[in-house]
Amino acid sequence: MQLNNRKRELVKEFSPMLEKTSLLTKIWIGALISIISVGIYAFVIQFKDGHIVTGMRDNVVWGLYIVNFIFFVCLSYSGAFISGILHFFRTPWKNSVTRIVEIITVLSIIIGPVFILLCIGRLDRLYFLFLYPRIQSPITWDIIAIITDLVGCFIYLYLTFIPDFAILRDSPDLKLPVWRKKLYKFLAINYQDTPDQRKRLHNTTSIMSKMVIAMAIVAYTVLAWIFSLTLQPGWNSTIFAPDFIVAGLYSGISVIIIAMYLIRKYFKLEKYILKSHFIMAAMVLLVLSLLFGYFTFSDYFAKWFSHKIADIDLLKTLFGHYFWMFILANYVGFIIPLIILSFKKLRTIKLITFAALIAVIGLWLNRYLIVVPTLETPYLPIQDTRPEFIHYTATWIEWSLSFAGIAAFFLFFTLLIKFIPVISMSGIIDDERRKLKTKETGNQSISYK
Amino acid sequence: MKSNLYNHTFFISIIVALLVNINGIAQENDLSNYRTRFGFKTVKQADNTRLLEVTFVALNKTDRQDQLPVFEAEIQFFNIFNDEEILLGSSKTSKEGIAQLILPENQKYNTDGEGYINLRARFKGTDALSEEEADLMVKELLFDLNLTEIDSVKTVTLTAFTIDSLGVKTPVSDLYITTYVKAMLSKKIIDEATISDGEYTFTMPQSFAGNPKGDLTISSIIDDNDEYGTIIQEKTVHWGTFNKPLKHDENMLWTKAAPIWMYVVLTILLLGVWANYIYTIANLFKIKNEGDNLTNEPRKNYSVN
Repeated sequence: MQLNNRKRELVKEFSPMLEKTSLLTKIWIGALISIISVGIYAFVIQFKDGHIVTGMRDNVVWGLYIVNFIFFVCLSYSGAFISGILHFFRTPWKNSVTRIVEIITVLSIIIGPVFILLCIGRLDRLYFLFLYPRIQSPITWDIIAIITDLVGCFIYLYLTFIPDFAILRDSPDLKLPVWRKKLYKFLAINYQDTPDQRKRLHNTTSIMSKMVIAMAIVAYTVLAWIFSLTLQPGWNSTIFAPDFIVAGLYSGISVIIIAMYLIRKYFKLEKYILKSHFIMAAMVLLVLSLLFGYFTFSDYFAKWFSHKIADIDLLKTLFGHYFWMFILANYVGFIIPLIILSFKKLRTIKLITFAALIAVIGLWLNRYLIVVPTLETPYLPIQDTRPEFIHYTATWIEWSLSFAGIAAFFLFFTLLIKFIPVISMSGIIDDERRKLKTKETGNQSISYK
Repeated sequence: MKSNLYNHTFFISIIVALLVNINGIAQENDLSNYRTRFGFKTVKQADNTRLLEVTFVALNKTDRQDQLPVFEAEIQFFNIFNDEEILLGSSKTSKEGIAQLILPENQKYNTDGEGYINLRARFKGTDALSEEEADLMVKELLFDLNLTEIDSVKTVTLTAFTIDSLGVKTPVSDLYITTYVKAMLSKKIIDEATISDGEYTFTMPQSFAGNPKGDLTISSIIDDNDEYGTIIQEKTVHWGTFNKPLKHDENMLWTKAAPIWMYVVLTILLLGVWANYIYTIANLFKIKNEGDNLTNEPRKNYSVN
């Protein structure tokens, strides 16, 4: 087999994704830009008038923004974790999902922290965080962790992209603008796929994959500590960090399944993203759903059993004002995926994706229930104040900016998969090369006999 | 058709026996199976009042676990003087079968020649229950608990003496006294001693925090003495010792500089991670250099290696 021919075949197969933009894609991009535009308009109002245009007040100082921040950052960390695991263990189905996971990882870590910036009342003083950091503060740890993780994820993503950049650079038949070809050439850093280069790149990527796993755990733990190191009811829990990691992986796998489904459907990649990949992802999701259910139950049960006044007040709020949200987040978000994924007959691609969608919605609501009800039930009762100061309700500004964040995520995802194939071509070639090598070794051993 | 039930008569009869609730067919309690217990005791309480108490229960003759309190039985209490019964008062038994009468501190008692107060409790009897009667005799004892600070030493002094009709005080010896500190759920013994010459002194331990106000309730008890019965003395004193920590533990997180270990751990972690990034970038440059060298050579077709 000539390697160049195989590369040409793959480029030819994936070239429509890179070269053409269908009308549907254009409409999709247009819709996303419209949503982002509304978000920008909302941001201008918020910047001009301050946080009074949001639902956040003296008591409930965190709202939708922080919920979205946790959700996106957890998506990124879980993506980094899963990507690292797939690469580290050379999982057979990694080629089909690894690029999706890596893109999700990097985009989430870019979008997530933007929500934190929206949460800051005095953005003009942002640089104070760097000028006068307090090492004792978990917020400082989180800033360090996010920046370190962002750089790490970029490097890791870039390492996995290099061989594909090289393939695209060496594909003169691709009908692409000159600037893109020049960009591929620049980004490919003269990678020629020689055994030495391949070995060096593989070793470096392997080390980075381990590093990314460790960093994801550390960074997500630090994020959980922002909450659990305070004495607020509902947050001050020793299992918050592992709970965050499990919940993060649960939502991460779910988003990956949804992305796999959409990409498979839209780009007709049934040849690469197989049903078996969905089944394997479903099994991981099943284990994670059980872990998520266990951690959630354990956390709330301990709160209920210890019967501390503040915790009981919080539970009353959760089972009172937030009853349906609580049921959706912690019962439906756990039980529906559990039922679908537990029975073999129900494990179809559509139902697995549906289970993943339920899990994502449940997890987002779970994040909301972590942040808002706790701030609404502080240790000292809130008295003599207006109801809107006690109960948080997100305004259209917050919803617009939230949807703008989600739209930006989809837009960047769409643009990135137009820039580089969503299935790793170099990964496919590596696998085929490995299989051939194993076969040749097998033949040699037979011939020796 | 013959029923299979007849083949298993033994098992069926056991099941039927188990299904029938034996309580459902039980007769009402037959009092002939019971004997009564009529217990009488007296306690001189901390406020110097005297409690007279009767415990009236019926005990099953065969089953010792089976006890029935005698409820609403009227008990009369008497002071006996020269075979004459002087009524002190009466009380009805509670649901637990206990009848109590509290006599005030200034109650006058008639004593016999040896100075004993003779007391009697009586249940007159009904159609179902026979008359019950119990006697006891106690001497009046003046028992006092004093809590004083002598040279800043918290000292507990117990005094016990009798007083005759002429008002002469006689110190008492060989009385076993237990002193406690009242805690939330139980009593903590702080001293046990036998009093001699009417007085006993000990130093109060410093290890009790007391209630939130720093108050301690100390009680001394002479328990079921043959001559004096049970006597309790109790006092509350502001003797709680709050042991402050020797060193005020400052929250290191509110200081200007973080604890050293925090800097060390953070530096090690960050150096480790960023060193790896630099190593990775260095490798990328090496890959680039290798590629640059190759581009100077003629290109060749790749084959599977």
